[in-house]
Amino acid sequence: MRSEPDDRGGAVGGIDGELPASIDGLTPSTFVAPATAQEVAEVLADAAERGLAVAPVGAGTALALGNPPDRLDLVLSTARLREVIDYEPTDLVLSVGAGARLGDVQTVLAEHGQELPIDPPRGDEATIGGLIATGLAGPRRLAAGTLRDLLIGVAVAHPSGTVTKAGGMVVKNVTGFDLPRIYHGSLGTLGIVVSANFKVLPLPRAEATVTAAAPSWEAAVAAAERLRSSRLDPAALDVMRRDGAWSIGVRLMGREATVGGLADEARALLVGETAVATGAESAAWWRGYTADQAAIAQGDDVVVRISVRPRAVGGLIGSLVRLEEEQEVQVGYLGASVGVGSVVLRLRLAGDNPASRLAALREALLTLADQVVVLAAPSAWKRGFDVWGRPPETIDVMRSLKHQFDPVRVLNPGRFAGRI
Amino acid sequence: MNRTSLVERLEGILGPGGVFHRPSDLLVYEYDGSVDGAVDTALPAAVTLPTTTEQVAAIVRLAHEAGLPVTARGAGTGLSGGAVAQQGGIIVSLTRMDRIVEIDRADRTALVEPGVINLELSETTLPQGYFFAPDPSSQRACTIGGNVAENSGGPHCLKYGVTTNHVLGLEVVLPDGRIVWTGGHADGGPGYDLTAAMVGSEGMLGIVTKALVRLTPAPEATLVLLAAFGDVDAASHATSRVIGAGIVPAALELMDALTIQAVEPAYHAGYPLDAGAVLLIEIDGVVEDVRALGEEIAAICREAGATEVRSATAQAERDLLWKGRKMALAAMGRLAPNYYLHDTVVPRSKLPATLHRVDEISRHFDLPIANVFHAGDGNLHPLMLFDRRRAGDVERVLEASKEILHYCVEVGGALSGEHGIGTEKRDYVTLVYSADDLAAMAGIKNSFDPAGCFNPEKLFPKGYMCGEVRALRAQAMAQKLGIYAF
Repeated sequence: MRSEPDDRGGAVGGIDGELPASIDGLTPSTFVAPATAQEVAEVLADAAERGLAVAPVGAGTALALGNPPDRLDLVLSTARLREVIDYEPTDLVLSVGAGARLGDVQTVLAEHGQELPIDPPRGDEATIGGLIATGLAGPRRLAAGTLRDLLIGVAVAHPSGTVTKAGGMVVKNVTGFDLPRIYHGSLGTLGIVVSANFKVLPLPRAEATVTAAAPSWEAAVAAAERLRSSRLDPAALDVMRRDGAWSIGVRLMGREATVGGLADEARALLVGETAVATGAESAAWWRGYTADQAAIAQGDDVVVRISVRPRAVGGLIGSLVRLEEEQEVQVGYLGASVGVGSVVLRLRLAGDNPASRLAALREALLTLADQVVVLAAPSAWKRGFDVWGRPPETIDVMRSLKHQFDPVRVLNPGRFAGRI
Repeated sequence: MNRTSLVERLEGILGPGGVFHRPSDLLVYEYDGSVDGAVDTALPAAVTLPTTTEQVAAIVRLAHEAGLPVTARGAGTGLSGGAVAQQGGIIVSLTRMDRIVEIDRADRTALVEPGVINLELSETTLPQGYFFAPDPSSQRACTIGGNVAENSGGPHCLKYGVTTNHVLGLEVVLPDGRIVWTGGHADGGPGYDLTAAMVGSEGMLGIVTKALVRLTPAPEATLVLLAAFGDVDAASHATSRVIGAGIVPAALELMDALTIQAVEPAYHAGYPLDAGAVLLIEIDGVVEDVRALGEEIAAICREAGATEVRSATAQAERDLLWKGRKMALAAMGRLAPNYYLHDTVVPRSKLPATLHRVDEISRHFDLPIANVFHAGDGNLHPLMLFDRRRAGDVERVLEASKEILHYCVEVGGALSGEHGIGTEKRDYVTLVYSADDLAAMAGIKNSFDPAGCFNPEKLFPKGYMCGEVRALRAQAMAQKLGIYAF
């Protein structure tokens, strides 16, 4: 792997230096933006020695995610680690700094007709490191999987002052434990990913999105089931309620000559008025639809993700509709990835004592589903519970893992599941 | 604990039919599928054949109490020594846990016990329109549990990904005997991705007693193309052209002249005997796309110098074209008494240069090497042909392997694409990983198995897990900071 940028490399995007003033109400005393992996490791080692708590940040598009930190002294921005380290279009592999924004990376890839087939909320702005840390994904995971499935290697800075690598620049590799995937979704609590290698894929030659209004959630779910069991093999398939109205969206990809016909087939499986968007408009429709799923605190908005097995999504939506009436919550937005089994709500809590009402809502949701994550909520409201849900039965193994990698709890202390 | 009381206690858990302890019964467990001489062999003290998760947990608790090593084993088809009980102790053979517990068409999942044979799962689900995508060449014999342990691949992982992309959750017996679940039907579970840690961990972190795996809908249409080329270079070049055109086939396999000469007379798959190399390219998807892409790929191959391009859509014709590829290893017996099947990966663009190097190594060591491999993802399988009764042959094979491995790493490749490290390649791990990199991996091992009893002496360089690991950087740092919480 080359380390110096060449004609295909070089930095992508710019540093805009927007660092958060605080995280969940805690204000750091220091901001740093290291320029190299080794500098990140030095900062961490220094923090470990001095007993400081460090929060790594990328673009800040998911800063609301996690429990309020136990402590916060230093915010470490990955903004200067944004170069394309290596990109071999014929090998379908890419190595990029953690601070690179996904939108900029996609631009570089698109010049060679390639992409990372992921569509996380506010993904264009999000950084590669942030996406690995949070593990947040979008509707395309139905067919293409998540960043976890594309991750083939990482370089990571540790509180011990070392930089380690795992995996490599080949798409198949079973040399040792699969550390890259363990870092994925670990919220930066094991180390700070400084660069990552991915398998990339050819851009779909054409795409179309078919949308249709639905008279009820039952009708929307039924239509989604018809599409899912058809030959269409959708790239994404979501049922949604926005401004009180139910609708369905299906994204189709394939050859230019094929996609039009597939869209017609999809329309035939839907009931009532349909609309079709193609090309860039199709992609833009999904960006717009998922923006409200971002783990960003806006006013008193609460964002919750509920995950169930795919077969249970219809029943879950029905239960949520009933719960909404019983609990007097105002769900402004509901987005459900039907084949995935994931439902994201953006809601407001009416009346007095919203913190305890949120805790009660969460308890009620946990009776409907095993996995309930409060992705964003006002900081004060999050203090009464673990936003990640019930601790798993393997929490002791996880604590041990944390202890092996970050024994003095430098990285994001308290923010992860089980307040790791 | 002496051997007699160990066997007595194991029989107390499993009944007399569930424990092998006579030397003659243990002999077959001394090996896995590797060539004699390429990996060490070792005899276990006892082989256990549990039928339930609770029995596995009881065996592990007993081993934990007695401080005995535990090695899990599936069908024993592995090629890196992973299922060999390097330090003796107890082998937990999972072949009697072979039930498909549940197939859920709505969720597109199957819940299986670890002893289920890979191909059996797909054969069971195909009539319902689904299949289990990982398809290692040993799929007629290998178990899903083994696939999880080694993160197995196969020809179709070019499009569909390897085992880790298809495992949603695992029931695991941890080294202390506890039964836990990682992952599950619903995604988004809290905490670290322990399922990711388990897949490919070579039995060093826990024993999988159930796997929840993803089922993939069978494609509407499938097309197999056979393209013959004058030499391996032209075939590699065509591979890059196909990928460069923005096409990711379901599978893209390359066979060289030596392989063709071994398989064609034996299986009559229809490979031209005078070809220097053939590509087997499979594409699948909706019927319109498959037809058009087939024509596109055929045109690319002809432009890249293919002397012949044939295509097959009917199942029987496709199976025949695949038969030569799938039976390639079996056919090698026509060329030499023994073969050593290597597994390395290089970036796809480095394939032509790597194949040249393999050819040089073949000539230097006077060792015929056949190449049959997953060209689409750069996963090489040089097959070294030899006769182990002939003095010096095994040594030459091992020397040649070493040269190949060194070269692959030099050009940015990996030590193994799908076979695992085990004991076969553990001493090469330092070619790709530094002491710090290995310390991070040891951190994973220590979190799951602090006593180091699960499948000892695998993956880490010889001697590494015996003491050095205790000086892990995390511990070193904790001591530096005056913390002794370990």
